[in-house]
Amino acid sequence: MKRLLFILCFLVSLTANSQCVSNQSSNMTPAGPYVPGQVVTINYTLGTFTQLNLNWIIAFQINLGPGWTNLQPLITPGNPIGSTGFWMWDLQNTFPSGLNWGPGWRFINTGTANWGTGSTGPFTMRFRVTVAPTCTPDNLSISMNVIGDCLTGGWNNGSCCVDPAYNIYNNNVLIIPIITPNINHY
Amino acid sequence: MTYKENKQTLLALFILMILMATTTLTFGQTTINPDTVCVNAVAEQYFVTNTATSTYQWTVVGGGGALQTGQGSNSITIDWGAVGGLYPNAVEVIESNAAGCPGAPVLLDVFILDLSGNAIGPFCPGDPTTALVGTPAGGTWSGTGVSANAFDPTTAGIGAYVLTYSMAGCNTTINVIVNNGPVTGPIQHF
Repeated sequence: MKRLLFILCFLVSLTANSQCVSNQSSNMTPAGPYVPGQVVTINYTLGTFTQLNLNWIIAFQINLGPGWTNLQPLITPGNPIGSTGFWMWDLQNTFPSGLNWGPGWRFINTGTANWGTGSTGPFTMRFRVTVAPTCTPDNLSISMNVIGDCLTGGWNNGSCCVDPAYNIYNNNVLIIPIITPNINHY
Repeated sequence: MTYKENKQTLLALFILMILMATTTLTFGQTTINPDTVCVNAVAEQYFVTNTATSTYQWTVVGGGGALQTGQGSNSITIDWGAVGGLYPNAVEVIESNAAGCPGAPVLLDVFILDLSGNAIGPFCPGDPTTALVGTPAGGTWSGTGVSANAFDPTTAGIGAYVLTYSMAGCNTTINVIVNNGPVTGPIQHF
């Protein structure tokens, strides 16, 4: 009985933590750790977006720790077999649901406003960030949120997709200690 | 390996060790804390090993010290004051890296050495040897008529002399005179 309950809980947990998003992957060039001033390129791919309750994917939000600066888009996600429209790079947007979003890419459906795209992926994108000048080991976390049009208020057909942020990097700025040798006198 | 080959290897190692020690002394000079300087010393050079992308903020406190040249670099010159004594943390340097991040302060105590010597004389030829007393003790006297930190007017002879008291690279001087004795004529009988 206990074993059955455990399996049920486990399956419910899996469903709750990964409703619509699967097969995510990422890499960073160069690999960390990072020092102030270093420029890093991030590749991120969402393999599949499952359209729970006909939720369509509408936005990717990049979450950066305070140690990063100078976020720049390099490669925009594709839209394979998707709706008419395009992915737009944006720093901030407030969706009809009141969701305060950004920065990242959001889909502009040119057929039906506020809908996402009917594409289920894969979506591959690339962006670049720079480690801000600092003297302290600031947080350099990077994560990605994938958002469906139910959350943004464009579609209402039951529960929305609520997927946890995908962790791309989780470390701090590498501060190289300054070791001054003793004072000498000629 | 033969005994002779072993001997040669040991000799080579010995020479190598001497060379390494010499190199360390030449390029890795380390000033003992506290550093000793002479009173009123000028253009005394202080430095830390340079990191090309760093800047260096120096501070001179106490001892009448005044930073003369080199602020911002890894090497400075200081003119010291006229009052002897120990001055804790008299020289401080803070290194900042290319991002402007400061490191921990590095400090150096400075002892300003103020030498003095006792006044002696004037002397006449034949006067006894007189001890020379330098302050602080432990230095060395030199000059005409000086032997074992004492002045012998007879050895020096008639004249004016400058005697030097030296310690730790610092010097001070005193002036000493050995006068003529009176010239007495022969005894006359009226």
